[in-house]
Amino acid sequence: MGFIQESIRTSFSLIFSLDWEVFSAVWTSVGVAAGSIILAALFGIPLGLAIAIGDFPLKRVVITLLNTLMAMPTVVIGLVVYGIISRQGPLGGFGLLFTPMAMVIGQTVLAIPIVANYTLSSVKGADPRILPTALTLGASPLQSVIQLVHEIRFGIMAAIIAGFGRVISEVGVAMMLGGNIRGYTRTMTTAIALETSKGEFAFGLALGIILMIVALIINLLLNFMQQR
Amino acid sequence: MAAQFNLTSIQKRYGNKIALELEELTLWPGHLYILTGPNGSGKSTLLNILALLTKPEQGEMAFTGERVTWKNRELNLMRKKVTLLHQSPYLFAGTVSANVAFGLKARGLSGEELQRTVAESLELVGLKGFEERNVRQLSGGEARRVALARAVALKPEMLLLDEPLANMDQESAQVVEQLIASLPDRGTTVVMSTHDPRLNERLEGDVIQLMGGRLASENGRYPAYSSGDQNPGTLKTMLMADALVMLEG
Repeated sequence: MGFIQESIRTSFSLIFSLDWEVFSAVWTSVGVAAGSIILAALFGIPLGLAIAIGDFPLKRVVITLLNTLMAMPTVVIGLVVYGIISRQGPLGGFGLLFTPMAMVIGQTVLAIPIVANYTLSSVKGADPRILPTALTLGASPLQSVIQLVHEIRFGIMAAIIAGFGRVISEVGVAMMLGGNIRGYTRTMTTAIALETSKGEFAFGLALGIILMIVALIINLLLNFMQQR
Repeated sequence: MAAQFNLTSIQKRYGNKIALELEELTLWPGHLYILTGPNGSGKSTLLNILALLTKPEQGEMAFTGERVTWKNRELNLMRKKVTLLHQSPYLFAGTVSANVAFGLKARGLSGEELQRTVAESLELVGLKGFEERNVRQLSGGEARRVALARAVALKPEMLLLDEPLANMDQESAQVVEQLIASLPDRGTTVVMSTHDPRLNERLEGDVIQLMGGRLASENGRYPAYSSGDQNPGTLKTMLMADALVMLEG
Protein backbone atom coordinates (compact mmCIF):
# COMPACT_ATOMS: atom_id res chain seq x y z
CA MET A 1 0.00 0.00 0.00
CA GLY A 2 2.92 2.25 0.79
CA PHE A 3 4.04 2.60 -2.81
CA ILE A 4 0.54 3.58 -3.92
CA GLN A 5 0.44 6.38 -1.35
CA GLU A 6 3.94 7.29 -2.45
CA SER A 7 2.78 7.34 -6.10
CA ILE A 8 -0.14 9.61 -5.28
CA ARG A 9 2.16 11.93 -3.36
CA THR A 10 4.61 11.89 -6.28
CA SER A 11 1.87 12.64 -8.79
CA PHE A 12 0.69 15.71 -6.90
CA SER A 13 4.25 16.84 -6.37
CA LEU A 14 4.87 16.48 -10.13
CA ILE A 15 1.72 18.44 -10.92
CA PHE A 16 2.36 21.26 -8.46
CA SER A 17 6.07 21.51 -9.22
CA LEU A 18 5.10 22.01 -12.90
CA ASP A 19 7.51 19.25 -13.93
CA TRP A 20 8.56 19.95 -17.54
CA GLU A 21 8.59 16.32 -18.61
CA VAL A 22 5.13 15.68 -17.25
CA PHE A 23 3.63 18.79 -18.75
CA SER A 24 5.30 18.13 -22.09
CA ALA A 25 3.68 14.68 -22.17
CA VAL A 26 0.32 16.12 -21.09
CA TRP A 27 0.54 18.84 -23.74
CA THR A 28 1.46 16.36 -26.49
CA SER A 29 -1.32 13.98 -25.42
CA VAL A 30 -4.00 16.67 -25.32
CA GLY A 31 -2.81 18.39 -28.50
CA VAL A 32 -2.63 15.21 -30.56
CA ALA A 33 -5.94 13.91 -29.18
CA ALA A 34 -7.67 17.25 -29.84
CA GLY A 35 -6.34 17.40 -33.41
CA SER A 36 -7.38 13.78 -34.00
CA ILE A 37 -10.87 14.20 -32.61
CA ILE A 38 -11.50 17.33 -34.67
CA LEU A 39 -10.50 15.47 -37.83
CA ALA A 40 -12.40 12.35 -36.76
CA ALA A 41 -15.52 14.47 -36.17
CA LEU A 42 -15.18 16.10 -39.59
CA PHE A 43 -15.09 12.67 -41.27
CA GLY A 44 -16.95 10.49 -38.77
CA ILE A 45 -20.11 12.56 -38.24
CA PRO A 46 -20.97 12.89 -41.97
CA LEU A 47 -20.05 9.21 -42.45
CA GLY A 48 -22.37 8.13 -39.63
CA LEU A 49 -25.16 10.36 -40.96
CA ALA A 50 -24.73 9.07 -44.51
CA ILE A 51 -24.85 5.44 -43.41
CA ALA A 52 -27.84 6.03 -41.13
CA ILE A 53 -29.92 8.07 -43.58
CA GLY A 54 -28.77 6.59 -46.87
CA ASP A 55 -30.47 3.69 -48.54
CA PHE A 56 -27.86 1.73 -50.44
CA PRO A 57 -26.95 -1.87 -51.20
CA LEU A 58 -24.78 -3.68 -48.63
CA LYS A 59 -25.77 -1.22 -45.90
CA ARG A 60 -25.73 -3.99 -43.30
CA VAL A 61 -22.27 -5.08 -44.43
CA VAL A 62 -21.00 -1.52 -44.08
CA ILE A 63 -22.46 -1.27 -40.55
CA THR A 64 -20.86 -4.61 -39.60
CA LEU A 65 -17.56 -3.38 -41.01
CA LEU A 66 -17.84 -0.18 -38.99
CA ASN A 67 -18.52 -2.19 -35.83
CA THR A 68 -15.49 -4.35 -36.56
CA LEU A 69 -13.30 -1.30 -37.07
CA MET A 70 -14.34 -0.07 -33.63
CA ALA A 71 -12.73 -3.13 -32.13
CA MET A 72 -9.56 -2.80 -34.20
CA PRO A 73 -6.45 -3.04 -31.99
CA THR A 74 -4.49 0.19 -31.89
CA VAL A 75 -1.27 -1.60 -32.82
CA VAL A 76 -2.89 -2.86 -36.02
CA ILE A 77 -3.90 0.70 -36.95
CA GLY A 78 -0.39 1.79 -36.03
CA LEU A 79 1.05 -0.94 -38.23
CA VAL A 80 -1.12 -0.06 -41.25
CA VAL A 81 -0.46 3.68 -40.99
CA TYR A 82 3.24 2.92 -40.38
CA GLY A 83 3.31 0.99 -43.66
CA ILE A 84 1.77 3.96 -45.48
CA ILE A 85 3.90 6.77 -44.04
CA SER A 86 7.22 4.97 -43.51
CA ARG A 87 10.00 5.76 -45.97
CA GLN A 88 9.11 2.80 -48.23
CA GLY A 89 5.40 3.54 -48.04
CA PRO A 90 3.30 5.51 -50.56
CA LEU A 91 3.41 8.67 -48.37
CA GLY A 92 7.02 8.13 -47.26
CA GLY A 93 8.21 11.26 -49.01
CA PHE A 94 6.40 13.52 -46.56
CA GLY A 95 8.63 12.44 -43.66
CA LEU A 96 5.70 12.06 -41.30
CA LEU A 97 6.86 9.04 -39.32
CA PHE A 98 7.72 9.73 -35.66
CA THR A 99 6.08 13.17 -35.73
CA PRO A 100 2.97 14.40 -33.88
CA MET A 101 1.26 14.57 -37.31
CA ALA A 102 1.75 10.81 -37.75
CA MET A 103 0.11 10.28 -34.36
CA VAL A 104 -2.78 12.55 -35.36
CA ILE A 105 -3.30 10.51 -38.55
CA GLY A 106 -3.26 7.21 -36.66
CA GLN A 107 -5.55 8.40 -33.90
CA THR A 108 -7.94 9.94 -36.44
CA VAL A 109 -8.19 6.53 -38.13
CA LEU A 110 -8.82 5.03 -34.70
CA ALA A 111 -11.54 7.54 -33.76
CA ILE A 112 -13.48 7.77 -37.05
CA PRO A 113 -15.33 4.43 -36.61
CA ILE A 114 -16.19 5.35 -33.01
CA VAL A 115 -17.56 8.78 -33.92
CA ALA A 116 -19.37 7.37 -36.97
CA ASN A 117 -20.90 4.51 -35.00
CA TYR A 118 -22.13 6.74 -32.17
CA THR A 119 -23.57 9.17 -34.74
CA LEU A 120 -25.26 6.25 -36.53
CA SER A 121 -26.78 5.07 -33.25
CA SER A 122 -27.95 8.61 -32.43
CA VAL A 123 -29.73 8.90 -35.78
CA LYS A 124 -31.30 5.46 -35.32
CA GLY A 125 -32.52 6.47 -31.89
CA ALA A 126 -33.75 9.86 -33.04
CA ASP A 127 -37.39 10.61 -33.71
CA PRO A 128 -38.16 9.38 -37.25
CA ARG A 129 -40.37 12.42 -37.84
CA ILE A 130 -37.49 14.92 -37.77
CA LEU A 131 -36.41 14.64 -41.42
CA PRO A 132 -39.90 14.44 -42.98
CA THR A 133 -40.99 17.40 -40.83
CA ALA A 134 -38.06 19.53 -41.96
CA LEU A 135 -38.57 18.50 -45.60
CA THR A 136 -42.28 19.21 -45.60
CA LEU A 137 -41.62 22.65 -44.14
CA GLY A 138 -39.60 23.38 -47.25
CA ALA A 139 -36.08 22.79 -45.97
CA SER A 140 -33.59 21.44 -48.50
CA PRO A 141 -32.13 17.96 -47.82
CA LEU A 142 -28.96 19.62 -46.45
CA GLN A 143 -30.94 21.99 -44.21
CA SER A 144 -32.99 19.01 -43.01
CA VAL A 145 -29.85 17.04 -42.10
CA ILE A 146 -28.45 20.09 -40.28
CA GLN A 147 -31.71 20.24 -38.31
CA LEU A 148 -31.38 16.53 -37.57
CA VAL A 149 -27.85 17.10 -36.25
CA HIS A 150 -29.20 19.91 -34.07
CA GLU A 151 -31.85 17.58 -32.68
CA ILE A 152 -29.34 14.81 -31.91
CA ARG A 153 -26.57 17.14 -30.72
CA PHE A 154 -26.31 15.33 -27.37
CA GLY A 155 -25.66 12.06 -29.17
CA ILE A 156 -23.09 13.75 -31.40
CA MET A 157 -21.38 15.21 -28.34
CA ALA A 158 -21.34 11.73 -26.79
CA ALA A 159 -19.69 10.48 -29.99
CA ILE A 160 -16.98 13.10 -29.65
CA ILE A 161 -16.48 12.37 -25.94
CA ALA A 162 -16.21 8.63 -26.62
CA GLY A 163 -13.76 9.20 -29.46
CA PHE A 164 -11.68 11.57 -27.36
CA GLY A 165 -11.61 9.09 -24.48
CA ARG A 166 -10.36 6.41 -26.84
CA VAL A 167 -7.57 8.44 -28.44
CA ILE A 168 -6.22 10.07 -25.30
CA SER A 169 -5.97 6.72 -23.55
CA GLU A 170 -4.49 4.67 -26.39
CA VAL A 171 -0.84 3.70 -26.49
CA GLY A 172 -0.30 1.54 -29.62
CA VAL A 173 -0.66 4.23 -32.27
CA ALA A 174 1.25 6.83 -30.24
CA MET A 175 4.12 4.41 -29.64
CA MET A 176 4.38 3.04 -33.18
CA LEU A 177 3.85 6.26 -35.12
CA GLY A 178 5.24 8.77 -32.64
CA GLY A 179 8.25 6.77 -31.51
CA ASN A 180 7.98 8.06 -27.90
CA ILE A 181 10.53 10.84 -28.45
CA ARG A 182 11.08 12.79 -25.24
CA GLY A 183 9.66 16.30 -25.39
CA TYR A 184 8.33 15.76 -28.93
CA THR A 185 6.08 12.75 -29.38
CA ARG A 186 6.04 11.38 -25.85
CA THR A 187 2.48 11.25 -24.61
CA MET A 188 1.21 10.40 -21.14
CA THR A 189 0.43 6.82 -22.15
CA THR A 190 3.76 6.16 -23.86
CA ALA A 191 5.54 7.77 -20.90
CA ILE A 192 3.64 5.48 -18.50
CA ALA A 193 4.65 2.42 -20.56
CA LEU A 194 8.29 3.55 -20.65
CA GLU A 195 8.60 4.55 -16.99
CA THR A 196 6.94 1.34 -15.78
CA SER A 197 9.26 -0.78 -17.94
CA LYS A 198 12.17 1.12 -16.37
CA GLY A 199 10.88 0.19 -12.90
CA GLU A 200 9.73 3.74 -12.17
CA PHE A 201 6.33 2.55 -11.04
CA ALA A 202 5.58 5.60 -8.91
CA PHE A 203 6.29 7.93 -11.81
CA GLY A 204 4.15 5.79 -14.13
CA LEU A 205 1.29 5.74 -11.67
CA ALA A 206 1.61 9.47 -11.16
CA LEU A 207 1.25 9.98 -14.89
CA GLY A 208 -1.74 7.63 -14.84
CA ILE A 209 -3.41 9.78 -12.21
CA ILE A 210 -2.68 12.91 -14.22
CA LEU A 211 -4.13 11.22 -17.32
CA MET A 212 -7.32 10.46 -15.41
CA ILE A 213 -7.52 14.06 -14.14
CA VAL A 214 -7.00 15.46 -17.66
CA ALA A 215 -9.64 13.09 -19.07
CA LEU A 216 -12.03 14.11 -16.27
CA ILE A 217 -11.50 17.84 -16.88
CA ILE A 218 -12.05 17.48 -20.63
CA ASN A 219 -15.15 15.35 -20.13
CA LEU A 220 -16.53 17.86 -17.63
CA LEU A 221 -15.87 20.62 -20.14
CA LEU A 222 -17.62 18.72 -22.94
CA ASN A 223 -20.52 17.86 -20.64
CA PHE A 224 -20.83 21.50 -19.68
CA MET A 225 -20.98 22.43 -23.37
CA GLN A 226 -23.56 19.69 -23.91
CA GLN A 227 -25.84 21.08 -21.22
CA ARG A 228 -25.72 24.65 -22.54
CA MET B 1 -57.52 26.21 -64.67
CA ALA B 2 -54.76 23.71 -63.91
CA ALA B 3 -55.49 21.15 -61.26
CA GLN B 4 -53.59 21.54 -58.01
CA PHE B 5 -52.64 17.89 -58.19
CA ASN B 6 -53.30 15.23 -60.73
CA LEU B 7 -52.42 11.63 -59.97
CA THR B 8 -52.60 8.97 -62.65
CA SER B 9 -52.14 5.20 -62.22
CA ILE B 10 -50.41 5.64 -58.87
CA GLN B 11 -49.29 2.57 -57.00
CA LYS B 12 -47.42 2.37 -53.72
CA ARG B 13 -46.41 -0.89 -52.11
CA TYR B 14 -44.93 -1.73 -48.74
CA GLY B 15 -43.31 -5.11 -49.31
CA ASN B 16 -45.90 -7.26 -51.03
CA LYS B 17 -48.83 -5.23 -49.76
CA ILE B 18 -50.36 -2.60 -52.00
CA ALA B 19 -50.86 0.43 -49.79
CA LEU B 20 -52.34 2.65 -52.45
CA GLU B 21 -53.60 2.11 -55.98
CA LEU B 22 -55.27 5.04 -57.71
CA GLU B 23 -56.31 5.10 -61.33
CA GLU B 24 -56.84 8.83 -61.27
CA LEU B 25 -57.29 11.53 -58.68
CA THR B 26 -57.64 15.23 -59.39
CA LEU B 27 -57.55 17.90 -56.71
CA TRP B 28 -58.60 21.43 -57.58
CA PRO B 29 -57.20 24.64 -56.10
CA GLY B 30 -59.09 26.40 -53.33
CA HIS B 31 -61.03 23.29 -52.31
CA LEU B 32 -61.25 21.56 -48.97
CA TYR B 33 -61.04 17.81 -49.33
CA ILE B 34 -61.92 15.44 -46.56
CA LEU B 35 -60.12 12.15 -46.79
CA THR B 36 -61.91 9.31 -45.08
CA GLY B 37 -61.51 5.58 -44.80
CA PRO B 38 -60.75 2.93 -42.22
CA ASN B 39 -57.31 2.38 -40.75
CA GLY B 40 -54.92 1.00 -43.36
CA SER B 41 -57.01 2.31 -46.25
CA GLY B 42 -54.08 4.36 -47.56
CA LYS B 43 -54.95 7.83 -46.23
CA SER B 44 -51.54 8.54 -44.73
CA THR B 45 -49.78 7.03 -47.75
CA LEU B 46 -51.76 9.31 -50.06
CA LEU B 47 -50.95 12.34 -47.89
CA ASN B 48 -47.26 11.45 -47.91
CA ILE B 49 -47.30 11.06 -51.69
CA LEU B 50 -49.08 14.40 -52.10
CA ALA B 51 -46.51 15.95 -49.74
CA LEU B 52 -43.83 14.63 -52.10
CA LEU B 53 -42.23 12.74 -49.24
CA THR B 54 -43.04 9.26 -50.54
CA LYS B 55 -42.38 8.32 -54.13
CA PRO B 56 -44.88 5.90 -55.62
CA GLU B 57 -43.49 2.89 -57.46
CA GLN B 58 -45.71 3.54 -60.43
CA GLY B 59 -47.72 6.33 -61.94
CA GLU B 60 -47.54 9.95 -62.94
CA MET B 61 -48.10 13.03 -60.85
CA ALA B 62 -48.58 16.62 -61.92
CA PHE B 63 -48.51 19.57 -59.56
CA THR B 64 -50.22 22.71 -60.91
CA GLY B 65 -49.80 21.25 -64.36
CA GLU B 66 -46.10 20.49 -63.94
CA ARG B 67 -45.00 16.87 -64.04
CA VAL B 68 -43.35 15.67 -60.84
CA THR B 69 -40.03 14.10 -61.84
CA TRP B 70 -38.78 13.45 -58.27
CA LYS B 71 -35.52 15.20 -58.99
CA ASN B 72 -34.04 16.91 -55.94
CA ARG B 73 -33.99 20.47 -57.21
CA GLU B 74 -37.53 20.31 -58.49
CA LEU B 75 -38.74 18.58 -55.32
CA ASN B 76 -37.23 21.34 -53.17
CA LEU B 77 -39.19 23.96 -55.09
CA MET B 78 -42.46 22.00 -55.06
CA ARG B 79 -42.17 21.09 -51.37
CA LYS B 80 -42.09 24.80 -50.60
CA LYS B 81 -45.66 24.94 -51.92
CA VAL B 82 -47.03 21.84 -50.19
CA THR B 83 -46.93 21.24 -46.45
CA LEU B 84 -47.96 18.19 -44.51
CA LEU B 85 -49.00 18.27 -40.88
CA HIS B 86 -48.51 14.79 -39.44
CA GLN B 87 -51.04 13.21 -37.13
CA SER B 88 -48.67 13.54 -34.23
CA PRO B 89 -46.49 16.40 -35.37
CA TYR B 90 -42.88 16.77 -34.30
CA LEU B 91 -41.76 20.04 -32.79
CA PHE B 92 -38.06 20.81 -32.98
CA ALA B 93 -36.27 21.32 -29.66
CA GLY B 94 -36.34 24.97 -28.65
CA THR B 95 -38.90 27.73 -28.50
CA VAL B 96 -42.31 28.01 -30.13
CA SER B 97 -41.02 30.96 -32.11
CA ALA B 98 -38.04 28.98 -33.50
CA ASN B 99 -40.42 26.25 -34.64
CA VAL B 100 -42.81 28.56 -36.44
CA ALA B 101 -39.86 30.40 -37.99
CA PHE B 102 -38.21 27.22 -39.30
CA GLY B 103 -39.94 26.96 -42.68
CA LEU B 104 -39.98 30.74 -43.10
CA LYS B 105 -36.20 30.87 -42.66
CA ALA B 106 -35.86 28.09 -45.23
CA ARG B 107 -37.68 30.47 -47.59
CA GLY B 108 -35.24 33.27 -46.84
CA LEU B 109 -37.41 35.35 -44.50
CA SER B 110 -35.65 37.25 -41.73
CA GLY B 111 -35.85 40.24 -39.41
CA GLU B 112 -39.08 42.03 -38.69
CA GLU B 113 -41.04 40.30 -41.43
CA LEU B 114 -40.15 36.95 -39.93
CA GLN B 115 -41.16 37.99 -36.43
CA ARG B 116 -44.39 39.53 -37.65
CA THR B 117 -45.35 36.39 -39.59
CA VAL B 118 -44.56 34.20 -36.58
CA ALA B 119 -46.72 36.39 -34.30
CA GLU B 120 -49.59 36.47 -36.81
CA SER B 121 -49.53 32.71 -37.27
CA LEU B 122 -49.57 32.09 -33.53
CA GLU B 123 -52.48 34.48 -33.18
CA LEU B 124 -54.38 32.51 -35.83
CA VAL B 125 -54.18 29.37 -33.69
CA GLY B 126 -54.99 31.26 -30.48
CA LEU B 127 -51.47 31.13 -29.05
CA LYS B 128 -50.59 34.79 -29.02
CA GLY B 129 -47.70 35.50 -26.67
CA PHE B 130 -46.39 31.91 -26.75
CA GLU B 131 -43.28 32.87 -28.77
CA GLU B 132 -40.67 32.31 -26.08
CA ARG B 133 -42.21 29.20 -24.54
CA ASN B 134 -40.17 26.03 -24.72
CA VAL B 135 -42.03 23.45 -26.82
CA ARG B 136 -41.41 20.74 -24.23
CA GLN B 137 -43.57 22.68 -21.76
CA LEU B 138 -46.64 22.78 -24.02
CA SER B 139 -49.73 20.65 -23.59
CA GLY B 140 -50.61 18.18 -26.36
CA GLY B 141 -53.26 20.48 -27.82
CA GLU B 142 -50.98 23.51 -27.70
CA ALA B 143 -48.17 21.59 -29.37
CA ARG B 144 -50.45 20.61 -32.24
CA ARG B 145 -51.63 24.18 -32.62
CA VAL B 146 -48.00 25.32 -32.79
CA ALA B 147 -47.40 22.74 -35.52
CA LEU B 148 -50.45 24.05 -37.39
CA ALA B 149 -49.21 27.64 -36.97
CA ARG B 150 -45.82 26.52 -38.32
CA ALA B 151 -47.52 25.09 -41.41
CA VAL B 152 -50.00 27.93 -41.94
CA ALA B 153 -47.22 30.54 -41.58
CA LEU B 154 -45.80 29.29 -44.87
CA LYS B 155 -49.03 30.11 -46.72
CA PRO B 156 -48.69 26.90 -48.74
CA GLU B 157 -50.66 26.38 -51.92
CA MET B 158 -51.67 23.05 -50.47
CA LEU B 159 -51.95 22.01 -46.85
CA LEU B 160 -52.23 18.33 -46.02
CA LEU B 161 -53.54 17.48 -42.58
CA ASP B 162 -53.36 13.98 -41.15
CA GLU B 163 -56.10 13.65 -38.52
CA PRO B 164 -55.57 17.19 -37.22
CA LEU B 165 -58.40 16.99 -34.69
CA ALA B 166 -57.78 13.50 -33.29
CA ASN B 167 -57.36 13.40 -29.50
CA MET B 168 -57.50 17.17 -29.28
CA ASP B 169 -59.12 19.04 -26.41
CA GLN B 170 -62.36 20.87 -27.25
CA GLU B 171 -60.90 24.37 -27.12
CA SER B 172 -58.00 23.48 -29.41
CA ALA B 173 -60.30 21.52 -31.76
CA GLN B 174 -62.62 24.51 -32.18
CA VAL B 175 -59.76 26.89 -32.98
CA VAL B 176 -58.18 24.45 -35.41
CA GLU B 177 -61.47 23.61 -37.13
CA GLN B 178 -62.30 27.27 -37.69
CA LEU B 179 -58.85 27.95 -39.07
CA ILE B 180 -59.01 24.96 -41.42
CA ALA B 181 -62.42 26.05 -42.69
CA SER B 182 -61.02 29.50 -43.52
CA LEU B 183 -57.95 28.27 -45.40
CA PRO B 184 -59.52 27.69 -48.87
CA ASP B 185 -60.66 31.33 -48.86
CA ARG B 186 -57.07 32.33 -48.18
CA GLY B 187 -56.01 30.45 -51.31
CA THR B 188 -54.86 27.22 -49.72
CA THR B 189 -56.13 23.88 -50.95
CA VAL B 190 -56.71 21.61 -47.97
CA VAL B 191 -56.72 17.83 -47.84
CA MET B 192 -57.56 16.58 -44.40
CA SER B 193 -57.86 12.99 -43.27
CA THR B 194 -60.32 12.18 -40.52
CA HIS B 195 -62.25 9.40 -38.86
CA ASP B 196 -64.96 11.81 -37.73
CA PRO B 197 -68.00 11.38 -40.02
CA ARG B 198 -69.61 14.59 -38.70
CA LEU B 199 -66.68 16.74 -39.69
CA ASN B 200 -67.77 16.94 -43.31
CA GLU B 201 -71.20 18.19 -42.28
CA ARG B 202 -69.54 21.04 -40.44
CA LEU B 203 -66.82 21.88 -42.95
CA GLU B 204 -68.75 21.03 -46.14
CA GLY B 205 -65.71 19.72 -47.92
CA ASP B 206 -65.42 17.34 -50.83
CA VAL B 207 -65.13 13.77 -49.60
CA ILE B 208 -62.47 11.42 -50.89
CA GLN B 209 -63.05 7.98 -49.51
CA LEU B 210 -60.38 5.33 -49.63
CA MET B 211 -60.96 1.66 -49.12
CA GLY B 212 -58.18 -0.91 -49.20
CA GLY B 213 -55.85 1.58 -50.86
CA ARG B 214 -58.33 2.37 -53.61
CA LEU B 215 -60.56 5.29 -54.31
CA ALA B 216 -64.17 4.63 -53.29
CA SER B 217 -67.35 6.66 -53.06
CA GLU B 218 -69.27 7.63 -49.96
CA ASN B 219 -73.05 7.23 -49.93
CA GLY B 220 -73.07 7.34 -53.70
CA ARG B 221 -71.43 10.77 -53.69
CA TYR B 222 -68.49 11.34 -55.96
CA PRO B 223 -66.41 14.10 -54.45
CA ALA B 224 -64.54 15.51 -57.44
CA TYR B 225 -67.73 15.39 -59.52
CA SER B 226 -69.81 17.15 -56.90
CA SER B 227 -67.16 19.83 -56.44
CA GLY B 228 -67.46 20.87 -60.05
CA ASP B 229 -64.96 18.53 -61.63
CA GLN B 230 -66.36 17.76 -65.03
CA ASN B 231 -63.49 15.52 -65.94
CA PRO B 232 -65.20 12.38 -67.20
CA GLY B 233 -61.99 10.38 -66.68
CA THR B 234 -62.04 11.10 -62.97
CA LEU B 235 -65.67 10.12 -62.64
CA LYS B 236 -65.13 6.98 -64.67
CA THR B 237 -62.25 5.97 -62.42
CA MET B 238 -64.33 6.54 -59.34
CA LEU B 239 -67.17 4.47 -60.69
CA MET B 240 -64.75 1.71 -61.52
CA ALA B 241 -63.24 1.92 -58.04
CA ASP B 242 -66.72 1.80 -56.58
CA ALA B 243 -67.54 -1.27 -58.63
CA LEU B 244 -64.34 -2.93 -57.51
CA VAL B 245 -65.10 -2.22 -53.88
CA MET B 246 -68.59 -3.64 -54.31
CA LEU B 247 -67.21 -6.71 -56.04
CA GLU B 248 -64.69 -7.23 -53.26
CA GLY B 249 -67.43 -6.69 -50.69
